[in-house]
Amino acid sequence: MSTWGLVKTVFFTAVTVIFFFIIWIHNPFAPHEEYELPDEAEKIIGDPKVAIEGRELFKQNCTSCHSLRYDGIYLMSVTAKPEWSAIEKAHGKPILEEKDGKIQVRGYFVPRDVYEAVAQADLQNLKASFGKIPPDLSTMYLARGAGYLYNFIMDPQKILPGTSMPKLFYPEYDKEAPQKVAKIVAYMRSVNEPPPGEKAKRTLMGIVTIGYFIAMGALLWIYRKRLLAKMGY
Amino acid sequence: MIKRIVDWIDERTHVRDLYREQMVEYKVPKNLTFPYVFGVLALITFAIQIISGIILIMYYKPVIAHAFDSANYTIMREISFGWLFRHIHAAGANFFLAIVYLHMFTGIYYNAYKKPRELVWIVGWVIYFVLLVTALTGYLLPWGQLSYWGTVVTTEIPASLADAPILKGLFGAIGETISIWMKGGYKLEDLALGRFFGLHVLLLPLILLALVSIHLFLVRAAGISNPEGYEIDKKNEPEKVAPFHPYMTLKEGAFAMWYLAIFFFFVFFYMHHFLPADNFEPADPLKTPPHIAPEWYLLGFYEVFRSIPSKFWGFVAFNLILVLLLLLPFLDFSPVKSARRRPLFFIMFLVFLFSSMALTVLGTMAPTPTNAKLGMFFTALVFLFFLSLPVISFLEWGWYKARGGRA
Repeated sequence: MSTWGLVKTVFFTAVTVIFFFIIWIHNPFAPHEEYELPDEAEKIIGDPKVAIEGRELFKQNCTSCHSLRYDGIYLMSVTAKPEWSAIEKAHGKPILEEKDGKIQVRGYFVPRDVYEAVAQADLQNLKASFGKIPPDLSTMYLARGAGYLYNFIMDPQKILPGTSMPKLFYPEYDKEAPQKVAKIVAYMRSVNEPPPGEKAKRTLMGIVTIGYFIAMGALLWIYRKRLLAKMGY
Repeated sequence: MIKRIVDWIDERTHVRDLYREQMVEYKVPKNLTFPYVFGVLALITFAIQIISGIILIMYYKPVIAHAFDSANYTIMREISFGWLFRHIHAAGANFFLAIVYLHMFTGIYYNAYKKPRELVWIVGWVIYFVLLVTALTGYLLPWGQLSYWGTVVTTEIPASLADAPILKGLFGAIGETISIWMKGGYKLEDLALGRFFGLHVLLLPLILLALVSIHLFLVRAAGISNPEGYEIDKKNEPEKVAPFHPYMTLKEGAFAMWYLAIFFFFVFFYMHHFLPADNFEPADPLKTPPHIAPEWYLLGFYEVFRSIPSKFWGFVAFNLILVLLLLLPFLDFSPVKSARRRPLFFIMFLVFLFSSMALTVLGTMAPTPTNAKLGMFFTALVFLFFLSLPVISFLEWGWYKARGGRA
């Protein structure tokens, strides 16, 4: 390859790589918000064992307004209905979990239309009080991220002025408030991320797949070199 | 035993002759550069999309009450490896468009659209267009906030063109009708989702499949282009060509394997961009998200549309770019091929390349007045590229004639 050819190759490769790096991996030009997460909260959110405690805190503090259908958690006023447990079993799919080596039912995933039909009056009451139906929180962790959720629950008005979400945790009165919020976020994270064992399996699978393709490419390349030498090219 | 079966088939179908003619005796230029691999990579990505799409369609429900949950609960949690196929399909869509863009820029650089390959380019353009529509329709299916609002913006473009100068009356009268016709009602609901689903999983892939076959046939019929830009006489210059198999197949096979390694890196470890966070919120017709921008492969056109102050002229401008791309073989009528031998064209190619990239990056930025001015500047440069082609061709015809008809 001539010098000019080399210059062009390097140039076009670099331009392509930089372009896709900007739009796919890190775009310094696009507007984006950052939310600070205290170290302690980050540690709690990152710990998958906290999720069980977080689930109880979520049930106590959040379910008067919010559901989390992907983990079988519904509005308190709906689950208090006498017909609910029959509806859950008839229309929902069991969410299974393993506890002490035994598989048990953690809750039921009820389809959205069935749930909303049963909870119609309760949701409309909430709408009357707050101006809108409080969202289901199943995928909220993926949509907003840990930093946003932690800061928002700690002080909703600071992050989203005018929101009808009330402030529930007051560090001035309850010393454990920041930990509690972090545990709730940790729970929301656990719903949206595969458990640690599954995560490790996926990582391994990824490494093996990538390794396989790199090796196959290299083998094909070597095979081609030898074959072409034999054929006289 | 296997040989006997193959013999039996061969006697009736002559597959061995076909193989020999099309794979071994079919000769390709030896000097094909790396970018020629993008065609094969696009074909591989197309196959990946079809296979992963078939898996996803088994569990996806095209009803608004269930669409979001079937994608995010059923596929991502319940089905074994459902997450893997969704990741593959989402990353595959982005890779498909990326490879197609690289393939198009390669074609423009080496002037692979010129005689006798005009039809290859035109069919390729139709593939690109259908691919964009496929991507748009597929984007609605997860029924998240971005899906919903992205589609609302797209389907309301016809209704927003009432500021057209002469056609004001016409657009005022039919704009909204077209918009309603695209959405299936005043609101995006089950009807729209069902239509988009049907188009995305059945009609558009079938059209793509047919077009890709025609494209491949035409490439074979016209012969592959050449980085040096002259047609190789396969009979008189046997030292410049090599058999397609194994010379080319093994080379492209190795590149394809490495491409898949990069692809699966994204599938397993880096899906933040391909499954954007905002789309994990279910569609809410009462809540407009703060930043609605199309996916990156449309951002260039989007930036052209939004930086021009008039909606109508913005619409005209981005459609004109598409039409000019289609007409490329006729705008550029110079007898000389390949940017390697055309310094003026090389410079204009760089202008076009950088303007397209700049428009795409500008599309991700906040819509400030400065950015709008920059957007108009780069739009002008894109048009300058297309307008310069006839001028360059005219000059090159002169030089070509002056050299006695030699390129």
